[in-house]
Amino acid sequence: MIVEFWGQEFKINIVFGCIGAFLLAIVSSMFGFGGGPFMVPLMTVGLGLPMYLVVGSSLTAIFFNTLMGTMRHYQFGNFDMTFFLIMFPAAILGGYIAPQIAKRISPLMVKRVAVVGLALLGLNLLGVY
Amino acid sequence: MITKKNIILILLFLLAAGSYYIRPGDAQDPAAPTEATQPAPVAATAVPPATGAEATAPAVAPPQPPTVTFTIDKTAVDNGGAVTVKGQGVPGKSVYLEVWSERQVKSSFFDSRPDKDGKRPYKLYLTHSLPASYKIYVPKDKKEVFDAFKAKGRGWAYSDALKEMGADVAYSAPATIEIDAYQSTIMAGIIGSRGDKLPTLDDKETRRRAMQLTKARFSGIGRLISPSIDLNADGSFAAKVDIPQGAAPGKYFIVAYADKAIHSQAAVVENNINFPMMYLSNAGTSLNLLWPFLLTLAIGIFGVLMGAGGGFLLNPILVSLWPLPHTVVAGTVMPTVLFSQASGIYNYSKIKFISWKLGITMGLAMLAGGFIGPKLTELITLDQFKFVFGWILLILAALMFWQTTPGYIANNKKEQAIMTEFKKRAEAAAKAK
Repeated sequence: MIVEFWGQEFKINIVFGCIGAFLLAIVSSMFGFGGGPFMVPLMTVGLGLPMYLVVGSSLTAIFFNTLMGTMRHYQFGNFDMTFFLIMFPAAILGGYIAPQIAKRISPLMVKRVAVVGLALLGLNLLGVY
Repeated sequence: MITKKNIILILLFLLAAGSYYIRPGDAQDPAAPTEATQPAPVAATAVPPATGAEATAPAVAPPQPPTVTFTIDKTAVDNGGAVTVKGQGVPGKSVYLEVWSERQVKSSFFDSRPDKDGKRPYKLYLTHSLPASYKIYVPKDKKEVFDAFKAKGRGWAYSDALKEMGADVAYSAPATIEIDAYQSTIMAGIIGSRGDKLPTLDDKETRRRAMQLTKARFSGIGRLISPSIDLNADGSFAAKVDIPQGAAPGKYFIVAYADKAIHSQAAVVENNINFPMMYLSNAGTSLNLLWPFLLTLAIGIFGVLMGAGGGFLLNPILVSLWPLPHTVVAGTVMPTVLFSQASGIYNYSKIKFISWKLGITMGLAMLAGGFIGPKLTELITLDQFKFVFGWILLILAALMFWQTTPGYIANNKKEQAIMTEFKKRAEAAAKAK
């Protein structure tokens, strides 16, 4: 499939991309997240697309996943309204505060902190400590 | 100065301060309209059934059929507490205390382990009436058996543990709950339904599956069994029944058992929770609302800085910090991040940052995946959830680490330059309109 963006054309193997997206969506909706951080490597490495194309498009794709996942989880009775009402305003607030801070922090630093944090959390869940 | 940022900081401060001072009274939710499962008194005592308001066991009946009685030192606790139980059982026999909450929660158990003939049943058991809190107290002399089962880790069998301690006589309140059984099929898996509904289970099967559902919900042996009753040779006993902070509000019932047919009447303790502790009725846990709020805020900020939604951080942290069921956490976190994703898409589309063709094509593939995924959440246990998530996070950490390596960054420099340039132009164009 050919994707046109900002005056450039990119040729990609969309079948591969869709299969990857499908599998990723199963795992991520099963575990309750959208799959964003996994879509980016899928599209940059798997499809060979540049970062500036991937960021927005991956967000669009995972929105579908999150939307469908939300509806299905609600169908299965996994939605707690009180819990949601506690977290929802915080998420909105976070999305508002973040850009204010983003100007003063280098994204590379944030990524490095994320790597450490994720590794620690992952090891905790696996029971290593 | 009255800037937006300052207003936000002030609101946060007020919220934090308020959590210590505001105490308007009882829990917010109205009492759940479910019947309490009260065991009817058996021929062991000659007194007619007591109402739920009585705090002490009835007076001793005149002739001597074996009986168990006890008294409790308080009838209400605030945000959890310990209730001292002192009583008299049958000399020479063990005594067990069954403690359960009136509030009920959902539980599911997927039976995929090979049975005696080696076949895997693939049956799903579901109930909406499991007590939100449940614990059986056993005498201290059963501690060795308890430790042996605890050492088995995740693979301990609840019914075996109860039987070996003699405590299965005390398992009554959940033994008669309504359970739906479904036969899962591959076709059902594809279209995302639970499967074919099976006929109602008989009493024995209900009791057996109820035990599995109880274990599925509470998982650790420490949450279900407590070897802490002081039992004396003359049959007198004492114990501390602990209603943990974070347990559901409402009535708690305590019944003492010496044998299947020899038990006391139910004593009732009321657990009041006060704001800012709130009861999450679907999750079955109460918590101080400030912490999930701050956690979501922190992760929300961090996620946007990183360029991601944050669901993959919120889920494992919530599940690790509080005794919440992973199904409800997954189902509640997803709509939470949905809105931040939507606002992100809106902002990006304004500066023409999205390729709709690519996004929607991949999005449709994800739509199909998102349909199947949530059904699988209730098929795995909490421990499996945590385990797989641990690996997911390690893989993610590796991916992000690779993104910070010099080689990757050098490759990206050209792309970064193009991106910044187009972003500037697009933002200028959007402003000019």
